[in-house]
Amino acid sequence: MADTLTIKRTSGSASAFIPMDALRSSGPEYSKLVDISRCIGCKGCEVACKEWNELQSEPTANFGSYQSHKDLTPNTWLLMRFNEIEVGENLQWLIKKDACLHCEEPGCLYACPAPGAIVQYTNGIVDFNQENCIGCQYCVTGCPFDIPRYSARTKTVSKCNMCIDRVEAGLEPACVKTCPTNAISWGSKRDMLAKADKAVETLKQRGFQHATVYDPSGVGGTHMMYVVPHGDRLADYSLPTDPTASPAPLTALNFLKRIGAYLFGFSLVGALGHLLAFGQESPDEHE
Amino acid sequence: MSEPLLHRFNLLERIVHWVVGVTYVALLLTGLAFAYPPLFWLTAPLGGGAMARVLHPYIGALFGVAMLLMLVLWIRDMFLNRQDVQWMAAVRYYATHQRDKVPPAGKYNAGQKLFFWVQGVLAVVFVATGVMLWFPEQLAPARTLLSSARLLHYTATLGGGLFLVLHVYLGTVAYPGTARSMIDGKVTRQWARLHHPRWHAEQTGLTDT
Repeated sequence: MADTLTIKRTSGSASAFIPMDALRSSGPEYSKLVDISRCIGCKGCEVACKEWNELQSEPTANFGSYQSHKDLTPNTWLLMRFNEIEVGENLQWLIKKDACLHCEEPGCLYACPAPGAIVQYTNGIVDFNQENCIGCQYCVTGCPFDIPRYSARTKTVSKCNMCIDRVEAGLEPACVKTCPTNAISWGSKRDMLAKADKAVETLKQRGFQHATVYDPSGVGGTHMMYVVPHGDRLADYSLPTDPTASPAPLTALNFLKRIGAYLFGFSLVGALGHLLAFGQESPDEHE
Repeated sequence: MSEPLLHRFNLLERIVHWVVGVTYVALLLTGLAFAYPPLFWLTAPLGGGAMARVLHPYIGALFGVAMLLMLVLWIRDMFLNRQDVQWMAAVRYYATHQRDKVPPAGKYNAGQKLFFWVQGVLAVVFVATGVMLWFPEQLAPARTLLSSARLLHYTATLGGGLFLVLHVYLGTVAYPGTARSMIDGKVTRQWARLHHPRWHAEQTGLTDT
């Protein structure tokens, strides 16, 4: 069944600053769930992402890793990171599906000054509209997950859009569709949370005592969650342990902007007040 | 009133001043557009948001060069001395137009000198942080550095914006006859006697009366 896209917040507008609770809506709220324990590292999702979104393939070279490319780019919105980590006596791949997590409180959107360049929909998708992007890259510094990538050629920033055109048509994102082991699933946030809890339970029975769900509260939860087998080693998965949508510099900046607006207004009023109280100091009156 | 006018600023000084002035206002307006979404329309005269984002740093570079020139042109008159300390101590009388209680100023009074130095320091902050924000992709892993640069850039804007209001108010409305010194470079002798008595004496050989 097709869904209509309803806008929740847009960058550069008042809605960017409305608290999350005031914006709760009754529509469906989706989430991806990436169960890392089920991933076999086939990278089919990378290919599906490229295909569906018509993103140019990029040449790569062997750099001593099973990973296809070193980093995300404006044309690579999804990268499977293969971190080779010693766990106990074994060398393991701690795989991370590196792509936009579609935060409930999007740091990119909060940082963006261009009206309509970043839009959050009620279904949870955070999308970049390149036609409104001014290329300032504030979103890059606003994102706690280091996801948006700037293209010097187009002078705009890009990232995973959760296959919004598929979701709008009632389909799951391309990476979900293609995953052969059901490591990536798609559904309502509530269903995915339930599924994640079950997966964690199973993992714990199998001996992964620290298995956990990654749905960080510092960004209000995400719309791509992970089931992490070694939940005590988030950093080894390249997952920030305590991501926040409101880092200290941004909080200070918003405070400064508010103070600045008042002071600037007061200075104009002050100048007028001074003129009224003391008048002009004209040389003619000092003859 | 038919006394000859005094030359205060030459053509080069006036051009440099206005390059700084025009770029400063253009930068302030586009900067405010980036900081305050309701003011985003201020980017329109430069061709919209994307164009303003491209041009803002180039205008900033021009501002930086003009500030450097200004520094070279004016620095030797801007060092603070003992008389400036006395002037600052009496600044409340200056602000309330009680000139008989204000120590006589030379070519520049202490307030103008401080304005020069404050804008000079702010310009260094603007340019240093501005270069980082111009090419953030070169520093992309350094999120904290970039956020701090942005915070500093905005702080400098606040300081600079307030000083701009003061500068324009004093130079136009509050002290008639001042703005002319930045248009044709001349001031009347009465103006000089009122605002810069020691400079007036140097220029005319007459002592203050």
